[in-house]
Amino acid sequence: MSAAATSVLLAVVVAVVKGVLIIFVLMTAFAYLTLAERKVSARIQLRYGPNRVGPFGFLQPLADGVKLFTKEVTAPEGRDRFLYLLAPALAACAAMLAFSVIPINQTICIGGTHGAGPLSASCPGGYPLHWDLAHLNIGLLFILAITSLGVYSIFLGGWASNSKYPLLGALRSSAQLISYEMAVSFALLGPVLLAGSLNLETVVNQQHSLWFVFLQPMGFLLYFTGALAETNRLPFDLPEAEAELVAGYHTEYTGMHFGLFFMAEYINMVTVCSIATVMFLGGWMAPFFFLPTWLGPIWFVGKVVLLLLLMMWVRWTFPRLRYDRLMQFGWKVLLPLGLANLMLTSVFVALH
Amino acid sequence: MTVIFGLAAVIAFLGAIGVVLSQRTIYSAMSLVLNMVALAVLFLLLDAQFLAAVQIIVYAGAVMVLFVFIIALLSPGAEERVRPLELRLLLGGLGAVIFTLLVGRLTLNGITIGPHGRMHGELGPFAPTLVNAHGQVQTLGEQLFTTYLLPFEVTSLMLLVAAVGAVYLSRRRRVAA
Repeated sequence: MSAAATSVLLAVVVAVVKGVLIIFVLMTAFAYLTLAERKVSARIQLRYGPNRVGPFGFLQPLADGVKLFTKEVTAPEGRDRFLYLLAPALAACAAMLAFSVIPINQTICIGGTHGAGPLSASCPGGYPLHWDLAHLNIGLLFILAITSLGVYSIFLGGWASNSKYPLLGALRSSAQLISYEMAVSFALLGPVLLAGSLNLETVVNQQHSLWFVFLQPMGFLLYFTGALAETNRLPFDLPEAEAELVAGYHTEYTGMHFGLFFMAEYINMVTVCSIATVMFLGGWMAPFFFLPTWLGPIWFVGKVVLLLLLMMWVRWTFPRLRYDRLMQFGWKVLLPLGLANLMLTSVFVALH
Repeated sequence: MTVIFGLAAVIAFLGAIGVVLSQRTIYSAMSLVLNMVALAVLFLLLDAQFLAAVQIIVYAGAVMVLFVFIIALLSPGAEERVRPLELRLLLGGLGAVIFTLLVGRLTLNGITIGPHGRMHGELGPFAPTLVNAHGQVQTLGEQLFTTYLLPFEVTSLMLLVAAVGAVYLSRRRRVAA
């Protein structure tokens, strides 16, 4: 086999292994996030939460999975058959795809010499093991692109059901997602300006002395608020406001079809928290200088878990916004603040 | 690379056909989305990562979502045929051929095709290797704000005028009613 063919084969094998690992980890994360959500909500409401299946209810996700798979699948008669099935599949695909550019650790150089400095991503003469599936120059834009495609899954799900509540939920949702996408993008541009790169690994490497959350506290707050809306979490869960819309865009879905929407929602939470970790919280960097740096992935996961718990805490603490207030908040508060933050950051970067 | 190019090209083509032939408006719109995503893959193969991402974010992620939004709100019925089908096919076909020839001529500008179908020619200032050495976003930004500053600003002004006009029209109707 020629050297070129070997390197192509190696690249394919590495990509497949990473892809399978990511899917496995995200599925497990989804399963245990549902349990965590129920446990956290139970704590906040002075209940016990699920505690019958396994010790402390640890096998509850397994039971839920069996339930979802074995339930009778019912679907509305007047549905659009193709789009009705496409929507949940699209939701799950988009959610998992977005995670493929997130670096969990710095590039490790196998053989060959590591590029200048301990934080460099270059690896002349050796094999650079990237800790993300796709090491793109435009990593951040890739994530924004994929999440912007996620709107279609929600919209098509609501539209193809041919039912009034799902359609209303879908319309609300697409308007909300488009509006908050702007605010989120503006909030993310701050760290990009500071790092001078769209590559997520470079962004993390630029934070080795000071995390961007300290330089961009406003950006972090804006991002986190916008992210709650992007993932349809309370207090912005208007698309599925159960008091008004039964369950919004996925009202007419049952069994594992609903399960895919549910999964996409939780995986999106993980992705959003990972982006926040990478852009603002120093990615795999140790939180204190005296802690070992080689535990990168552990620090990364720790920060993501903390953010996830914060999201759950917010969900069970705040009431839902009214719809017109939600749009006003997005366009008249978040967006101008994001623009102001961006301008200030630009001036700072230009003067520095 | 060739396999991916073939797949993306076929998908883009099928998407384009779907836009025209679909009976229902929402399928036309979704075919257009498919076409745009496939085009983005083609951009990626050309080493134009930034362009690929922008293609998806702007066209598939924003413009088409609004289209789909309107389709769902208005739920238009079957489309009205104004001209006879043969005439439209003829005009459309003629337009497609002329457009292909023009684009092909522009693409082959300064390139000669030697024996065995190999192409020779000077690499321009924006060849992939040169652009990648400098950084794609950097190159684009620099060109946009130096060489092409005037067209860039004029375009943004035009978009602003369109936005102001849309707001004015919608508000005037509300006041009249």
